[in-house]
Amino acid sequence: MNTSAVQPVGSQADLTPSRPVYDGKLSELYGIYLRHLLLMFLTLGWSRFWGRTRLRRYLWNHFAVLGDRFEYRGRGLELCVGFLLVLLILGGWGGLMWLTWDFWLAAHMPQEVGIVSLFALSIAFVGFPLAFVGQYTGLRYKLSRTRWRGVRGAMAGSAWSYGALAAVLTFANAATGQLMTPLVSVTLARPRIGNASIGTQRLVFAGRAGDIYGRYIAYYFLNIVLWVGLVGAAGAAMGVAIGDYDVGKLRDAGRLPTLLLIAAALLVAYTLFGIVILPLRCWWQAYLFRYLVARTRAGDVLFATALTTWHMWGFMVVNYLIVLLSFGLGWPWVMHRTLRLISDQLWIYGAPRPGTIGQPADRGPRYGEGLLDMFDVSGV
Amino acid sequence: MAPVALARYYDGVTADAIGVSAKWGIGELLVYRPADFSIVARWRLEDLVVVGDSEHEAIPAVSVRGSEARLIVEAPELRAELARIAYLAALAAPPPKPAWRIVRLGAALLGVVVLLWGAVEIGSEHAASLVPYRLQARLGGQVQAELVAGHKLCTGAEGLAAIDGLANRLARAGGLDHPVSVTIVQGGPVNAFTLPGERLVFYSDLIDRASDGEEVAGVLAHEIGHAVKGHALKGMVRQYGVELLLRLATGGYSELGTLGSGGGMLLALRNGRAFEREADAAGLALLERQGLRADGMSRFFEQMLKEEPTGSLRLPDIWSDHPPSAERIAATRRAASGRPAFTDREWKALRSVCNESSGSN
Repeated sequence: MNTSAVQPVGSQADLTPSRPVYDGKLSELYGIYLRHLLLMFLTLGWSRFWGRTRLRRYLWNHFAVLGDRFEYRGRGLELCVGFLLVLLILGGWGGLMWLTWDFWLAAHMPQEVGIVSLFALSIAFVGFPLAFVGQYTGLRYKLSRTRWRGVRGAMAGSAWSYGALAAVLTFANAATGQLMTPLVSVTLARPRIGNASIGTQRLVFAGRAGDIYGRYIAYYFLNIVLWVGLVGAAGAAMGVAIGDYDVGKLRDAGRLPTLLLIAAALLVAYTLFGIVILPLRCWWQAYLFRYLVARTRAGDVLFATALTTWHMWGFMVVNYLIVLLSFGLGWPWVMHRTLRLISDQLWIYGAPRPGTIGQPADRGPRYGEGLLDMFDVSGV
Repeated sequence: MAPVALARYYDGVTADAIGVSAKWGIGELLVYRPADFSIVARWRLEDLVVVGDSEHEAIPAVSVRGSEARLIVEAPELRAELARIAYLAALAAPPPKPAWRIVRLGAALLGVVVLLWGAVEIGSEHAASLVPYRLQARLGGQVQAELVAGHKLCTGAEGLAAIDGLANRLARAGGLDHPVSVTIVQGGPVNAFTLPGERLVFYSDLIDRASDGEEVAGVLAHEIGHAVKGHALKGMVRQYGVELLLRLATGGYSELGTLGSGGGMLLALRNGRAFEREADAAGLALLERQGLRADGMSRFFEQMLKEEPTGSLRLPDIWSDHPPSAERIAATRRAASGRPAFTDREWKALRSVCNESSGSN
């Protein structure tokens, strides 16, 4: 463990521990969410920018660190304009492609390649790195609209550099069978955390991929062994269950028994995955999360979490079931659970010294999250 | 007893939080430290604003115009006192009662979903007819180009003229204003479909599998039935409408797009079954109106039913985009009376339409 990251800076640092407090109520959150849904129907989705803003205002303000609540001051209009700007750029790109197609490309391309598929292909190609750019600019926007004790958050660094780095690393990770995951996680966490600040107080991230490779390699190979074992065991179990039964008879067994059989097999497969594979994945992810949090510092303030494999497993399984079984209506519950988990599991050691954090000069972007909206999953 | 801080003050310059209290008098609000009554801020009443509201914020902040300073009034009694200032009246607004709100909004949401669903169902009937023919033809052309890309097309001139001629006679009888074009793709599956812009695509396996020209004419009449009823565009409009509804129902979170696609697929299948029945009836009526034999359609279905897998491996009806063949056969069975749809020469030409073929490009 790299001890420099957890040692207090200066001998006078007060490391009194505290935890964030989340005091939101699910019923109140649902009140806001249902209004958001209703307006979504009435406006055919165009109210989503305002709905998202209202939800953030509620969540932020019911979350407090060191006794002070966060404040979200973003506006729906800013998100809407951000989205329209990206739409406009895409429209321009489409127009440019159409002109190129009409005057030059159409004569040189095979007939089965149409302008629509070419446009979709170009969007998919640029959309991959742009999704990462969008994540970064989205974070910049959110931080700039977030206040704690009256000072704004901020995000330095270039979103384009981050997007390029993330795209290259993600591609390289896929090409190496995900063996670069610790390197990718730490390398991308560095700009994301290290460029963020609360007021003028920059966060510091002191992680190194080498610290976590041992655990990842153990996870990686255990995962393979478990999958092989699971598939082998499932095959053997099926063999025993079926025995000498003529599978061909299934053709005449009628629709209902076959459907029930398929449903039971799927249930068993999901249960096995949930019980055997998912805990292993959580074992790695909880470790990574603990590492990232412990290697982050804001001046004299240190962070830690004791999030365990089982916390994460329970959290993920229940969230998945909520979303799946509620057909989307469970989203507020998932957000509520997420903030409760953070407030239960995050420990903050120390407090900023008076007068050390000032208001940042940077007011952040004028509009936000257009790219994130267009190319990425953008929840609250 | 030591004076208690009833509020927190942030100066907007640093991240320091100061425990304060506040008092208002003529024209201004004084924010002071309760320990020594030293004044922290003096704000003119007419500049005061409440940032946020009690629906979203646990404690809406008090500030002054053009300043980043904040006064967070934690004590309810001080909040009530400050709410007497006209500019800070919003501080007294109670948060909405969640239970009543959920019931009210839930009921409204349900009503809107039902209304929009109805609008999609009914509106698609009319919306489809509002789409200009030029656009329909262009859309159909694009879809067709993608569908037949990489396949060989049958180009036997006489065979194509035979099927094209019958298709256009039936289409005119059905009241279609625009000519119908038939494309025959070499190979399988045993299928045919109708695209927007009166474009019909047949697979040659269907023609090979048919026992005679009446069976092909039956399938052709069925496809013209789809064109006459505008099913291709209606189906697309409906599917898009329902996908949009499902996307809205999930709050716009694209993670749940799969649910949207699933719902859209179910609707497409349901539309499929209703449209198939309607096309059967319309196609038979067209053949009969032309004095042509209409027994081929049910005979073709009968043949298809024989070849369909039996038992559990057959998909349940809900997953099938065609109604059960036995039911269709019963509904479409007609006597073998009337003129043949194709002459012997035309039928022969149609059978060999793929002897001459070319790439789709």
